[in-house]
Parts: sequence; C-alpha cells; structure tokens
Amino acid sequence: MESQDTKGKIVKESLPSEIISIVGDILAGIVLSLLIVPFESFLILILIVPALLSLRGNISGPYIARTSKDLIIGEFNRKSLIENILATYVLSIVTAFIIGVFSIVLNIFLIKIPIVSNIMLIEIPIITILITLSISIPCSTGLNYLAFKYGLNPNNVVNPIMTAIDDFFTVISFYLSLIMLGVP
Amino acid sequence: MEYFKKIFKESIIIVIISSFMGLISGTVLSSNERILYSFPIILLILPSLNSLIGDISTVLSSRLTSHLYIGIIPPKIQKSDRLKEDFYGLLITILLSLIALIVLGYSMGIATGIEIVNPVLIIIILLFTILLLFVSMFIFLFISAIFIFKQGKDPNNFLIPFVTSLADFLTPLFLIIFIQIFI
Repeated sequence: MESQDTKGKIVKESLPSEIISIVGDILAGIVLSLLIVPFESFLILILIVPALLSLRGNISGPYIARTSKDLIIGEFNRKSLIENILATYVLSIVTAFIIGVFSIVLNIFLIKIPIVSNIMLIEIPIITILITLSISIPCSTGLNYLAFKYGLNPNNVVNPIMTAIDDFFTVISFYLSLIMLGVP
Repeated sequence: MEYFKKIFKESIIIVIISSFMGLISGTVLSSNERILYSFPIILLILPSLNSLIGDISTVLSSRLTSHLYIGIIPPKIQKSDRLKEDFYGLLITILLSLIALIVLGYSMGIATGIEIVNPVLIIIILLFTILLLFVSMFIFLFISAIFIFKQGKDPNNFLIPFVTSLADFLTPLFLIIFIQIFI
C-alpha cells in the first residue's frame, strides 16, 4: 500500500519509468540540438518548443488516463473512444492556435525577428500537434488495450512509455512541420 | 456528445494556462541565445530535465493526496515519519535519475558530436538546479495539498497540471540563472 511504502520501495518503483522517460526525452533533445538549432529562425522556434511539449503532456497524458479509466471501469466502447479522440483533437487545435497567437505577440514585442510570417507561427504548432497526435493516439490506445488484456494496470505501464514516445515525436513532428512549411 | 463536452470543459483552461507558461519558458530560452549557443548540451538535456522534475512532482502530489485522504498524515503543517520517508525516497530517485540523465546525455552528446563545454561545471549546475527545484516543489506541494484538502477539494486535480507547468517554466529559468552565476 502506498502509505506504507519505504524509501527503498519508492525508488524501486519510480526509477525504471523515469529512466524510460529520460531516454525518450534525450532523443528529443538530440533532435532539438542537431535539427532545430541550424534554422535561421531558431530563436523564434525555441519559443514554441516548451509550449508544445507542455501541450503534449497536458493533452496526451489525460487522454491515456481517460482511456485507462474507461477500460478499468468497463465503459470502453466505440462511442466513448470516438468522443475521447475528438475532444483530444479539438482541445489540441484550439490550444495550438492560441500558442500561435501568443508567439506572434511575443515575437512582435520581445523577440523582434521578422523572418517567420505570422501565418507560419499559427500553422507550425497546429501541424506539429496534429502529426504528433496521429502517432500518439493509436499507439497509446493500442498499448492501453494490450496492457489491460494482459492483466496489467494501464495507468502504471502506459504513461511512462508514452511520455518518452510523445516527447520524441513532438520534436520530430515539429521538425517535419518546419520542412513542410519551408520555414527559414 | 456529453463525454466530449465534459472533457473539453474540464481541460481547456488548464491546457491554455500550461501552454502559456510553456511560451514564457520559451521566451526565457530565446532571450538567452548566447548561453544556448555556448552550451549546446543544455538543449539536449533540457526536455529530460523538465520531464524529470515534472514527473517527480506529480508522484509527490499524488502520494501526498493519498496520505491526506487515508489519514496517514494530518492536514497540518508539521513533520512526520511518512513525510520524511517520501522526501528521502523521492530525493534518492531524482538524484539517481539525474545520474542516468547525465550519463545518457553526455554519451549521446559525444556520439552525435554535440560539444560539451565545461562538463564538470554543467553537472554542478544541474545538481544545484535539481536540488533547489525539488526542495521548493516539496515544500510548495506539501503546504498547497494541505490547504486544498482542508477546503474539501482533491489536491490532485489542481496541483498536478499546475506543478507540471510550473516545472516547465522554472527549470530553464533556474538553469540559466545558475549558468550566469557560475560562468
């Protein structure tokens, strides 16, 4: 029981998932350092990256938790899955749009680098998060289902694995969106 | 579409707030371009560092909430054996994770040709950043959990998204402050 955990048990149970998460995030860091830094507009792009990683964490994480909960309490069905996916996509698009608007404002008043158009600053977060979710949602739904099918608690197993996968693919999708849009 | 509306209504505000804090964090990074170009390894390890602080704070928040609901710790600001056990358990976890992060990060940096300037000093800076953030998050989460619990609310619902966003904002900020102090 959690309330009787010794410090040794806390370390034993938390450390492996942390290591998995660190590996995925280091891969994300490599993509950032090697692929994003060379862009001429790097100083504007680095403005958006932490917001995208936060957005991923606060949208994909709860999606996984909701799917796990639906599986555990026996309410996982086609309707709940479709509404869950739809809500995740709508939330992402609305928030990505707001990230774009805020980055335009920050660029005008603080960063002051006019090499990326305002339209691009709106398109980059939206395209990035759409690509990321298109990989993340099927992966996490499948992992949740498999974990549940094999008698594991999806809450304990899926989250750390998906944190690593999601952070890595967020940065990859970010890079792909920059290439697609022809960002300088 | 009730499930859809419920998810949207409950999530939209906190998702926007956390994205806004992410943008502030991005502004901190963007305004310190000299540091980012001088210490490229910082960019490589930053996502893991953010994630580490956020994950440990989430674990702590959910543990504190469980303890308060079960009654293992009283809703008062006072020391207890349970609290000490959680503190040391998570401190050991975060320090061991930091070691893993440094080993993996530096190995990947060397393998991919990313320059590691002042490696020892960077380790000291990372250690200071992690320790300062861990101790401040622990105190903040303990006091806030008790305060929210006393109001009859579930501390998890507010503290987890808030503290994750706070970690995303404070980690690069502290890292850059320490780099400016030490280098």
